[in-house]
Amino acid sequence: MEFTIRAANVDDCKDIERMIMELAECEKAIDEVKITKRDLEQDGFSKNPFFHGIIVEVPERHKTKEGHTKVGYALYFFSYSSFKGRAVFMEDLYVMPEFRGKGIGKALMSKVAQLGLAAGCQQLNFTVLDWNKPSLDFYFSQGCTDITAEKGYHYMCCKGEALEHLAQP
Amino acid sequence: MSSVNCHLFCLSVYYYRFHKEDCKDVARMIMELAVFEKMPDQAKISHEELERDGFCQNPFFECLVAEVSDEHRSKDGHTVVGYGLYYYTYSTWKGRSVYLEDLYVMPEFRGNGIGKGLMCKVAKVKKQCVRLQLAVLDWNSPARDFYAAKGAQDLTDSEGWHFIRFDGLSLDNLVKDAPKD
Repeated sequence: MEFTIRAANVDDCKDIERMIMELAECEKAIDEVKITKRDLEQDGFSKNPFFHGIIVEVPERHKTKEGHTKVGYALYFFSYSSFKGRAVFMEDLYVMPEFRGKGIGKALMSKVAQLGLAAGCQQLNFTVLDWNKPSLDFYFSQGCTDITAEKGYHYMCCKGEALEHLAQP
Repeated sequence: MSSVNCHLFCLSVYYYRFHKEDCKDVARMIMELAVFEKMPDQAKISHEELERDGFCQNPFFECLVAEVSDEHRSKDGHTVVGYGLYYYTYSTWKGRSVYLEDLYVMPEFRGNGIGKGLMCKVAKVKKQCVRLQLAVLDWNSPARDFYAAKGAQDLTDSEGWHFIRFDGLSLDNLVKDAPKD
């Protein structure tokens, strides 16, 4: 299937928001999503953006039954490894179900890797849920390493009251 | 009390955002942390890279350092005795977040609240961030206990999140398959 990948712009935020909700539904966490289209516009397209995005588009003749031609996205930001230096973190990778199995996910991930390498990054990192077998199989088939399983890194999070308490002088 | 305990009892610590000239100390402590994490061969960063990446137009990270007065310097003569290295991330569910990449205090200065002090300062620099995230090695019980005591949740244990990485050859191979512009 024909598709193109390009950098996201502020006008894509409505579709990115739609696909974020679809992805959250896949991950059984629709109630967790607090982000709005306005947050995405402010945080992704201001002077010092918190993230960057790439969008997959298909031609009109392949649009979904709801009329969407933007059918996938990846959202990433630059991070840092104190051991190795510049790194890129892929926060989201999503392709609408009816467009899967056509190499679009792989193309998105490769594009993030390419953009990362161009920026001098040594690593592409992301997280995946251990029960998400299709994703795990896909990532392992591309040659990645599960550094939680191999090295024992656990992902920790401080939020809400705990974060407020921590920030007390 | 021994002379060492008395020495540390009067310790005052100065926390500040690092300057370029602190990068040598930060690089030193990164290596000490790598040795502690049993990965001494993994730490390849130089102080020049830290200077470049921490002070460019869109810095890749920020860093807070903890300094003691000259009278309390380490046995090797260092007054910069701890650091917290962090950067801003994004959750498409929750929004702006901060990631604490490293938190380190030289062993002889532990037990004085410096780790907590650094972590609190990072939590405060939050720029409307809703989360503070980090990674900890599963065998590092003191660190796990420290973070749990601060209210951190282990999302690997509770929700099954795993860190995945492409680097070296696997990253090069991935790039080869990138669509042409």
